[in-house]
Amino acid sequence: MRKFFPVDSLARDSRFNQITMKQSQADPRSALIATEEKRPKTNRLQPSRADASDAARSLMHGIFVGEIQALEGAGRTCHDFETGTEAPFALKLDMARQAWDEARHVEISVKLSEWMGTEIGQYAENTVLFEAACSTDPVLRLAGVNRALEGLAIDVFTTMKEFGDIAGDPFLEFCEDWMLADEVTHVKMGSDWLRRITENDPERRKKALEFQSVVDKIFSFGGTRSDSQESPIGLARRFRELAGFSDDEVEDIADVSLRALEERKAFARQAQAEAVEQFSAS
Amino acid sequence: MADPYKPRAPFAPWDRRQLPGLFDVEETARRVGNYKWAEMKLFEALGGWVATVPELDVKMRLGTHCYHHAWHAELWHKRLPELREMNPDRLTQPANDAMVQFVAALTEPEAPELTIEKLVGVYRVFIPHFISAYTFHMNNTSEITDAPTIRTLKLALQDEFEDWRDGEMMLQSLIETPEEVDRAAAHQAKLEKLILAAGGIAGPGSIGGN
Amino acid sequence: MTVSVTPANFSFVDFDAELIRRIGDGLLEVLGIDRPVHVEVDETTPLGRVRTEIGDTITVRVESGAFEDSRKPRQQSDEATTANLGRALLRARDRISGGFGEAPADDELSLRQIAAWETYCVGRLARMGVPVNQQRWKYNFRNRHGFTDVADAAFERIWASDGLTWGELETVSLEGAGTPS
Ligand SMILES: [Fe+2]
Ligand SMILES: [Fe+2]
Repeated sequence: MRKFFPVDSLARDSRFNQITMKQSQADPRSALIATEEKRPKTNRLQPSRADASDAARSLMHGIFVGEIQALEGAGRTCHDFETGTEAPFALKLDMARQAWDEARHVEISVKLSEWMGTEIGQYAENTVLFEAACSTDPVLRLAGVNRALEGLAIDVFTTMKEFGDIAGDPFLEFCEDWMLADEVTHVKMGSDWLRRITENDPERRKKALEFQSVVDKIFSFGGTRSDSQESPIGLARRFRELAGFSDDEVEDIADVSLRALEERKAFARQAQAEAVEQFSAS
Repeated sequence: MADPYKPRAPFAPWDRRQLPGLFDVEETARRVGNYKWAEMKLFEALGGWVATVPELDVKMRLGTHCYHHAWHAELWHKRLPELREMNPDRLTQPANDAMVQFVAALTEPEAPELTIEKLVGVYRVFIPHFISAYTFHMNNTSEITDAPTIRTLKLALQDEFEDWRDGEMMLQSLIETPEEVDRAAAHQAKLEKLILAAGGIAGPGSIGGN
Repeated sequence: MTVSVTPANFSFVDFDAELIRRIGDGLLEVLGIDRPVHVEVDETTPLGRVRTEIGDTITVRVESGAFEDSRKPRQQSDEATTANLGRALLRARDRISGGFGEAPADDELSLRQIAAWETYCVGRLARMGVPVNQQRWKYNFRNRHGFTDVADAAFERIWASDGLTWGELETVSLEGAGTPS
């Protein structure tokens, strides 16, 4: 088995259809830029949305495939780096622990999806999560995956937990509560290792933080997560603090997310104009 | 209550633990170092394979078992300094070169069609050898002087038995044709020969004999 | 009676107007709807809302997500097209064929009422052989009626029903929500 596994080789059974972030972002359609009359008042995932249960099911499936990729990423970090010379033994133990946690999260997500009436593979699987787990520097992986991606997981689970709570769904709220506890632990692992490994290597720390912010921006999914009500997912400030983010870091993510939202809207406007132009030319 | 000052036997009548053991401190440390090395190779392989197997149930089990063996490695890592080895890395070694070859062959399969081979290597060869080496150690070390090792062996063995059962059941559910039976058996034989040459997880004498 | 579709060609999604028309024709026949239908697809949004206007022609305004294959973004799904167009047409048929006279206008329906009516529609579609995931609709119903045994019993009754009037549907739904009329 080789070291470093490419994202396009992730093994899946026939139910799954994978798309890359690039393919998903090329979609010129966007609910964000619809005219006032057509646009819902808020995109935030809450039970008052008319399409709440379908939106929750779709997000749940996104969580499910995200958990699979998180499991795969943590597993790969156990394998890809030589103990001692490339990654500390204790870091790899943390990653093995995370693999178990993510395996449980997959189990939980499968059960929840069944409960919500979603079939495995019913939605396309965006492989962006694993893409961040492909870095050849374990510190970058931890910054990109544990801090950026699992930070997003904290935001998503918080939103889902509130959703379950308001809707009175006993399982959703219960499961998200448990998964949230694990994710806070994973983000903290990322924060701790980043600090420890780069203690005497400011250059490497800078690179890792830059990578994290790139990933943060990608994971803002063009505005899917931000403080704005236009975003389906909110920013879970309190849990992020628990996970080792400083106030400044949380503010930075808030800024990046809002910028990503605006960029996504601008992109969609342009892509739609181009599509119309191409169509009228043909 | 009986008189608390009445002298009692330090070993109660039901406590039949024996003092003598087969291993001195140095030999115990050597074996523990081999165990740690082997558990590390196992958890790394399981972690690496997660992304390569398409079967969702297998994927999740490998992730779960990955942690079990990482935890065993951690327990052995913590035991080494208690055995006068203050630099645990020094003894974190394969028993011999043949063991290295065994692990290389074990971890070779990568393609998504090779789940049977991956599972055979772990659950029909590697884990049964952990069970035998751990059982031999547990039954032959001093029950009094080496109680901490026995405790770790028991904890690890419990996982090994359960993971073995999980793995064997996954294999039985994946093997559907006589050809696949042959595939599994051939791979098992190939790996078994390599670990035979190594003499087991801790080298010759892993389960006594030589 | 026939179905017309706009746009005739799609540029944001890979949909086939002719396929939509054929599926619509099939549904009109099965449902016995005796009025022309016009399907207008808004391909600029991935959302999946469906709105219906009933006049001499039944106009169904569909956001592209409603006909999309959720496995393959921007591709059309036969199943989704059938199920979602079928739901809209069944609701229109309920309104046209009587018994639903006192039902509020679409944009005045509460989320609970929508969920109850959807359940009634999808249950009937399922019996017509349209593939649907019952658990999905039960989850939707529970979100609007509560996660209770009473709500589940109401769901089962509505799902299995044919020929309900609006009043009957509303009574079962209110019971399911724990607030009998
Ligand atoms: Fe997770
Ligand atoms: Fe996680």
